[in-house]
Amino acid sequence: MKRTGALLFSLVLLYPLAGLFAPVGAWHWNQAGTLDAVRVSLVLTALAMVIVVALGTPMALYVARAAPVERVWWQGILLISVLLPPLALGILLSLAFGAKFANTSLAFVVTQVYASIGYYVLGAVAALESVPPALEVQAGLLGHDPWSVFWRVTYPIARLGFAVALSLAWVRALTEFGAILITAYYPAGMPVAIWTNLESFGLPAVMPLLVVFLLTALPLPWLAHVLAQRRAHETQHA
Amino acid sequence: MLEAQIRKARAQFTVDVAIRVAGGEACGLFGASGAGKSTILACIAGAELPDDGFVALDDMALFPPSMPLHRRPVGYLTQDANLFPHLRVAENVRFGLTNGARDGGEAWVARLRERLQLDAIWSAPAHAISGGQARRVAIARMLARKPRLVLLDEPFAGLDRHLVRELLAAIIEWQRELGFTLLVVDHEAAVLERICPRAIVIERGRVVQDGSWETLETAPATPLLAQLLAPL
Repeated sequence: MKRTGALLFSLVLLYPLAGLFAPVGAWHWNQAGTLDAVRVSLVLTALAMVIVVALGTPMALYVARAAPVERVWWQGILLISVLLPPLALGILLSLAFGAKFANTSLAFVVTQVYASIGYYVLGAVAALESVPPALEVQAGLLGHDPWSVFWRVTYPIARLGFAVALSLAWVRALTEFGAILITAYYPAGMPVAIWTNLESFGLPAVMPLLVVFLLTALPLPWLAHVLAQRRAHETQHA
Repeated sequence: MLEAQIRKARAQFTVDVAIRVAGGEACGLFGASGAGKSTILACIAGAELPDDGFVALDDMALFPPSMPLHRRPVGYLTQDANLFPHLRVAENVRFGLTNGARDGGEAWVARLRERLQLDAIWSAPAHAISGGQARRVAIARMLARKPRLVLLDEPFAGLDRHLVRELLAAIIEWQRELGFTLLVVDHEAAVLERICPRAIVIERGRVVQDGSWETLETAPATPLLAQLLAPL
């Protein structure tokens, strides 16, 4: 494929963004519930990410340093959580946690954690695998305990990989619709609010929320991926 | 005194050796490539765990139970310098000085820096220096902590003769000064002879001979050893 072909491919790929300029009528900037939806999504997704990092990082450390055969098993289990269809996940969570669980902030956060933690752990495992174990052995023999080795050697080398993993988890949780629709229709986050606004008031009521949705979902993962690609490119050419 | 009895299964054979090196002695582990020498060193360092046996340094049991790496007074250098790529040369050398000024640490680092000619690269990122420079930095980083036991696993492989001579002289000098016990692995007798008066010969994971170089050369225990010691 020549450069012109690649350019054409990219234009087709980005074409859906042209929808932002479609003539749908005057946008309803003061649509009731928009700000609440933004607040719910950002605050609860941030909380979910704290849980994902706190629980997922030790798991990733264990899996990355496990024996190869054992590692395959753990990665297989993590893949199940990644591959579970969102609607199925929502129904299964509702059944597993019971009726009292539904339509609460707790249900919202728990669903986001389940939907995103597999992405984070698998990404973090890949990041940790890029750190040669021999460096950690050296750091240990130079008098640093495992905690210090992680913060002074492992994490600095793997941090871009961690950022990519976290950004993937962030976008997965923030944009989760199918599972949240089942477990936490209320409090409505941005995906559910976009859907209900579209159904009730049409496109002009949806567009402002859609822009905020894109602005909160896209830049962080995009930047993390671009930086990671650049670092990989620099390392290859060092 | 380093005492080690190591049993460790490998794909083609089981390493099964007993080694004793006096405190402050310099001893070589000699043998063909793939004889199990590096496995022995890795087990003593703690980079690998033996399947069975024990490793003790003076009155300190390193295995079993496996002593955490950060408590071992051991310096370990392999063919790969294993510098921390996100740190500068100076930060790599000082990495093991948990309290930089303790025991005259900075003065000692300054001596290492001068002797190993690290001035020109002192502020350079570790990932941007050459292989030979990286090996010098790795030696400085290892010795900055003044370990009681130094384990060198073919640390001069791939370096030009001039640099090997220079590094050998520096290590001999510091071993005399600091008195650390030294165990060096190499498959080149010429390198080991310069640094170690005594050699333990390893073949397929077993000790086949232990003695001075003169003994090894006059009465090699196996045909393979005779071949390894024969002039080209």
